[in-house]
Order: sequence, then C-alpha cells, then structure tokens
Amino acid sequence: MRSRIGSRVFLALLALYFALPLVAALLYSLATKWGDTVLPSGYTLHWWVDVFSRPEVSGALGRSLVLTAVTLAIDVLLVVPAAYWSVVHNPRIGSVVQTVTVIPFAIPWVVIAAGLQLIVKDTVPQLFGTFWLLAAATAAIAFPFLYWAVENSLLAADARRLSEAAATCGAHPMVTLVRVVLPAIRGGIVSGSLLVAATAMNEFALAKVLVGTRYETLPLWSARVFTSRTGNDPNALAVITIFTFGLLFALSALVVWLGRGKSASSTLALARTSSSAEKG
Amino acid sequence: MTTPQVSTPVAGDARASGASRPPAALGGRGPAALGRRLLRLLAGWLPALPLLVFTLGMLVLPALRLVHDTFALRSGGFGMDNIQKVADNPVDREAIANSLELGALQATLAAAFGMPAAWLISRMRVAGRATWLALMNVASNFAGIGLAFGFVALIGTTGMLTHLLDVSFPATGSFTGMNIAYLYFNIPMFVLLTLPAVAVLKDDWWEAAQVCHATRRQFWRRIGAPVLAPFAAAGWLLIFTWTIGIYAVAYALASGPQSVKLITLQIGATLESSVFGLERAAVLSVLLMLLAIVSTVLYRLAIRRATRWL
Repeated sequence: MRSRIGSRVFLALLALYFALPLVAALLYSLATKWGDTVLPSGYTLHWWVDVFSRPEVSGALGRSLVLTAVTLAIDVLLVVPAAYWSVVHNPRIGSVVQTVTVIPFAIPWVVIAAGLQLIVKDTVPQLFGTFWLLAAATAAIAFPFLYWAVENSLLAADARRLSEAAATCGAHPMVTLVRVVLPAIRGGIVSGSLLVAATAMNEFALAKVLVGTRYETLPLWSARVFTSRTGNDPNALAVITIFTFGLLFALSALVVWLGRGKSASSTLALARTSSSAEKG
Repeated sequence: MTTPQVSTPVAGDARASGASRPPAALGGRGPAALGRRLLRLLAGWLPALPLLVFTLGMLVLPALRLVHDTFALRSGGFGMDNIQKVADNPVDREAIANSLELGALQATLAAAFGMPAAWLISRMRVAGRATWLALMNVASNFAGIGLAFGFVALIGTTGMLTHLLDVSFPATGSFTGMNIAYLYFNIPMFVLLTLPAVAVLKDDWWEAAQVCHATRRQFWRRIGAPVLAPFAAAGWLLIFTWTIGIYAVAYALASGPQSVKLITLQIGATLESSVFGLERAAVLSVLLMLLAIVSTVLYRLAIRRATRWL
C-alpha cells in the first residue's frame, strides 16, 4: 500500500515537471502584463495576432516552410528509388545505407555542420552560406527517417513479390513502380516525410553554423530574440514557442496515428519522432 | 537534381539483373563479358547512386575532413600539435570536462527517474498507458529554443515558480540549471527507449519465482535486474551521446548569466568567429565523433546482450 502511494506521488511530480514549463510559456503567450506576480494580470489573444503580422516573423516562418519543402523534395527523390531498388533488387544497397544512417543518428549535427563548413569554404566557395547548402545539409541529416519508413513499408507490402507479379503480367517496370509499388508504400512515404518535415522545421545547429543571419529560419529568429539582451520580447517569443511546439506535436501525433496497429512498437515510433526534436 | 530513373534496368529482365547473382552465369571472356558485368553491376546500384553520392558528400566527407584538419598542421605535414593545443587550453579542458560530466549525470538521472516510470507505465491499463505515452510525446516535442524559454519563464529570475515559491532557483545557464532543463527531454527519451524492454519482464516469471518460494527482493536481484540491466545500459549510452551533442538548448541557455562551457558551444563559437583556430573546432569535433563511435559500438553490444531474452 505504501509503495502504491509512493508511486502515485512520483508519477504526479513527474507529470507536474513536464507540464509546468509548457504552462509557463503558454501563459506568457496570452498575458497582457506579467510583472512580479505568480499569474498574469490579464489575458489577451493580441500577441497571437500581432506576432504573425510582423514581417520578420512571417518572413522567418515562410523561409522555414520553403526550407522544409525543398528538404522534403530532395529526400523523397533520393530515398524512394534507393529504398525500392534495395528491397526489390539489391539488398546490399540497404546495408550500405544503414551504415551511413549511423552518422546523423550518433554524430552531433553541429559537428556535421563544422565539417561541411570547412569543406565548402575551400572547395565550393560559391555554395558558402547559401540556402542550397542548408537545404542539402538538412536533407542529409533527416534522410534516415524517410529511409527507415520507406524500407519498412516496402518490406511490409512485399514489394519484391508485387514487382515480380506485375512483371509476369507484362507490366513495364515504370508502370509497376507508379501504379503498384508507390500506392502500396504511400503510408511509409507520408510518415517518413512528416518526420523529415518536423526535423527541418525545428533544426537549429546546421542553420546557425551554415547560414546564420543570411537565411533566418524560425528557430534562428527565436534564438536571436531569446538571446538579445535589449529587444527582449517575451510575449512574441512565447507565441512562437507554443506555435512550434504545437506543430511538432501535431506532426509526431500524426506519425503515431498513421503507424497505429502496424507492429506493436508505437513507442519506438515515438522515440524516433522525439529524437528528431531533441537533436535539433 | 536529376531524378534517378528506376525504369531503366540496363540488363533487361528485373530478376536477371540482380547484382547478388554470380556474374559467371553467362560465361564468356573478353571485353564483351566484362562490359556485360559492368552493366549488370551498374544496374544493381544505379537507382541508389544519387543517394549514396549525396550522403558521401554531405556526411562522410565532412567527417573525414574533420579528422584530416585535426592532424594537419599549419606549417604543412601532420602531427599532434592541434590536439596538444586543445589539451593545454584551460577553456577547452573545462568545456570537455563539463560536457562529459553533463552527459554522464544526465544519463544516470534519466535512468534513475525513467526506469521506475517505465516500469509503472508498463503496468498500467490501456487508457493510463496511452495518456502517459501522449504526455511523453508532448514533453519530447517541447525542445530546442522553446524549451529554454519555457524554463526561463518558469524558474528564471522573474519566472512563475520563482514568484510562487519565493525562492531563487539556480541560474538556467549554470550546470545545475542545464541539468534541470535537459531532464525534460531525456527522461521521456529514456522511458520511450526502455518501455518495450520492461514488457519483456513477464508477469509469469514473477509467478514462477513465487512458486519456487522466492521473495520479491530475490526475484529482482536474480531475474529482474539482470534482464533489465543491458537495456538500461543501452539507454544510458544513447542519452549520454545525445546529451553531449546537443546544441540548440545549450546555446539558448548559455546566453544567460553564469553560463557553463560545453564542447558543442565551443565548436559553434569557433566557427562563428572564423578568423582563427578552425583546427580547434576540428579537434573538438573529432573528440565528439570518437565518443559517438565508442558509445554506438557499446550500444550495439548492450542491445545484443539485452535481446537474448526476447
């Protein structure tokens, strides 16, 4: 009995610890004025309207969305054919790619950014500090999420046998890919893409090192406002904080929801979505 | 960016072009056979080539470049001078010590809170478990700059909890402050990593142990702990590696007063000043890579040992 009460208290304290910083940020985004009191003196939606009408914020949001779209396009174009060929024709591709996925998984992204910066500086200086370098780097660190998801769904759909069956019926390989394989692995592409999108929306280290102020994404804007001593703007920052959190949470909830029922390891999917959030 | 054409199997029929087959099937010698072998090899790899080339350029080469720059000397040739310089620099030494300490402490605390939490959550009914999984998901998505802001709004000098309890918390940029903030994502991470593992410890095992007149303590010492230990070790290693490599939260928190020095922050600052000592960033980066490699290898070993019981 005593241990049961003990574990309840333990879980309640843990829940409180998880809830409080989020509540504090949420209250800040709704507060009219919050001085030396526990709770704000009044509530308003003013900041939510105000922040997104500022050109620097809507600009940063737009840049983050463009970055996400380009990153997704690069990853889908590169990963889907490779994963397809690996599962259907040449499994050795898979083992090479799995080895490469260890790099963004284990090595800090700021280290990858450092290496890229050193290379670009004296081999392709025209890429230095550009959007394309950032997009390519983001695609490189996020590609494992898409590769794992696509490979899993190719295996689950038994794409190898599907392709063989289609070939027996005389279908051209391209027709097989577009009309048989792609529809069968759509779920994998979508959930992998959501993880890539979450990574690109929240990525900070690569953006900070590779482009800095030249292409201010939403995380870079947050960091600049947060660290500036003078133009401190907590309400605006709180709005963007809650907005980013809501976006990431929605994306990962969608991934979990899409993967429901397929293999009991929905917790593993969760761990993967959160690892993308944490490393940024 | 060219789209790799999946539909161009150079060597005809899909099954025949599988590169895993021994190429001797068609026999023959001379340039014709060699050409055919090359074509077949190409057909086996072509659709994956763009991805492989891309990751080689964006991930493998940067890593190799850092290793190169660590040993390359300004005066030409190779040597240990750059490493020696970092080892002699008190700021770098402090950063390295702080990062290692932070990683080890975080991994240990995450395990200390996460293991019992995972155990309790795994024993809940479906609804309770779903609620807690959702909460863990919420917590682990509140990351980066936003998380730093949340903690400053909570326990900063004018934070909510600071006013409510009328105490002064440790500065968010200090070692203790960072530990408080980092646990926010490391505990959920540990729970999510070990939840599948604690399900391994089946209830029948406890019943079987009871049949043999084992006490609860004996059960935990002889069965529970040995089965769960490799999983806990694997989780510890991942948290350790990830914590050392974190940049966004650290960058934001370290902008505050009494901030602590960390390896990733030193790398970022060096790259930004970019006038002197880029090799210092390379040395520190290689150190992080080495730590990542060692702990990945150990992680693999731990997982192999852990899954014996699955």
